[in-house]
Amino acid sequence: MTKTNLISSAKISLSSRLRGKPAAGPAAARSHSWLRLRGKEGILFLLGLLLLWQLISTSIHFSGAYLFPSPAVTLKALRGALPELLKGTVSSLIILVPGYSLAVVTGIAWGLLVGTIPWLSRMFSPFARFASPVPPTIYIPYAIALLPTFRVAASFVVFIGAFWPVFLNTATGAASLPQRYRDNARILGLKRVEYLWRIVFPASLPHIFSGMNVGIVFSFIMLTVAELFGAGSGLGRFVQINADYADYPRMVAGILYTGAVVLVTMELLEQLKRRTLFWVK
Amino acid sequence: MNAIDTRPTNSVSSSGLEVESLRFAYQGTPVLHDINLTVTEGEFVCLLGHSGSGKTTLLRLLAGLETVASGNLSWQGRPITGPSLERGVVFQDYSLFPWMSLGDNIALALAKSHPEMEKKWRLNLAGEYLEMVGLAAAARKYPAELSGGMQQRGAIARTLALGSPVLLMDEPFGALDPVNRARLQDLVLDVWSNADPRRTVVFVTHDIEEAIYLADRIVILGSSPGRIIQELRVPFARPRVRQTLTRLPEFQALREQIAERFRLDTLERIAAESVVGGDAEGI
Repeated sequence: MTKTNLISSAKISLSSRLRGKPAAGPAAARSHSWLRLRGKEGILFLLGLLLLWQLISTSIHFSGAYLFPSPAVTLKALRGALPELLKGTVSSLIILVPGYSLAVVTGIAWGLLVGTIPWLSRMFSPFARFASPVPPTIYIPYAIALLPTFRVAASFVVFIGAFWPVFLNTATGAASLPQRYRDNARILGLKRVEYLWRIVFPASLPHIFSGMNVGIVFSFIMLTVAELFGAGSGLGRFVQINADYADYPRMVAGILYTGAVVLVTMELLEQLKRRTLFWVK
Repeated sequence: MNAIDTRPTNSVSSSGLEVESLRFAYQGTPVLHDINLTVTEGEFVCLLGHSGSGKTTLLRLLAGLETVASGNLSWQGRPITGPSLERGVVFQDYSLFPWMSLGDNIALALAKSHPEMEKKWRLNLAGEYLEMVGLAAAARKYPAELSGGMQQRGAIARTLALGSPVLLMDEPFGALDPVNRARLQDLVLDVWSNADPRRTVVFVTHDIEEAIYLADRIVILGSSPGRIIQELRVPFARPRVRQTLTRLPEFQALREQIAERFRLDTLERIAAESVVGGDAEGI
């Protein structure tokens, strides 16, 4: 291969990476999400579920029919509710995005520090061991009572829900930094901030992404539960209000729509992970 | 860190690397026993030993990556208390950071050796170092995209970019196939002999032929605990030509002499252990 060929192939592989195409074979195969539809089996299973849904909803002829709307009825309700659901999505994201972002930023920063500084770890670990397993939903009533607006309160509980998984995974990743990276960093004479930012942070990214994945799931749980408590709008609120008015087709449509929003969010996170972790062997 | 002259120095008054009655134990087990060693500036020394001879530990001590328990280590008369840009290290593998391109890896070293330099000049200079090791076209590649041999070339380029007058190499070609190993040996010799003044190299290996081909002097380490059992000067003139050198009867005699020394050490160890252990089982 000539020199220019080498250069241009390097450029191509770099730009393909920036577009998010996986670089190497094994890395690409492993980073595939299990949620992805893999081949015929996944699609067949979903079609089977749909068929089962249809069969059950049409075979129920008593009062249950109205509690268990058929796919067609639900789809119609979904189409009708879409404008409201979109508005609800915006309202929910206004709570979710700040809470989750703050959790990711502080969880990573604090996790890197606690994972690398022994006295900080000795100071914080006992508290973390006590506070992290507390189910975050338990804070919701108090947060609503304590904080000035519902949005602030809901953002706060979303933050709590996402912070612990991000923090714990980051701290684990930072603490288990392979010796060879530490040795190389010391040989190069990296100072603390450089060491944290250019070595410990990227080396911990696989752990950090696991934490962010768990964190986003927790965020959605916290968000929808908080909305059941007292939101004026939002996805959880939509489901709650339609249940109150016994409009089950719209309620089921709301559940499916929320599932789709979570799925899309997870997929975006997965894309970000694959673009960022292209170097993992 | 203090201000450090990162270029190989011209000073002749000081005494290179010195190791004086060094002992080192890991969790109570002695690893190195009474090591005394002097490496003069510009000298190429191979530490030759089997696994368990503590050769890697000795190199890590020289690098400042381990703390001395007892004894003295110094470079140019100054004690070694931690890592320094004066002493660059090439490890057996995984020296490069996989999340940075090759060019960025080199630039990271240049940021330390040339802190005053602008970033774009650093990237230019990184390209020059990569050219030196035959990787000019691979600056934007990531380590995972490179073969083991290319990664080690990159690691060598990064260490050169540090501008260290001392090069410490820990079995750098141990994981390579014979052809790449030979190419990289020649690369190291080229880089070493073309520099003025020459860098001081301590090269750890378990490969007798590699040690003879590369070194001015071979320090043979015996096992459990690691200690120096013999030092010998390699008599062959430079530049050495691999094809003719390995056929020389003197080369083969030297190789056999070293192998014999290792066999003797192994027998001595077995004898010593069966005396100490009393009921040690025979082999």
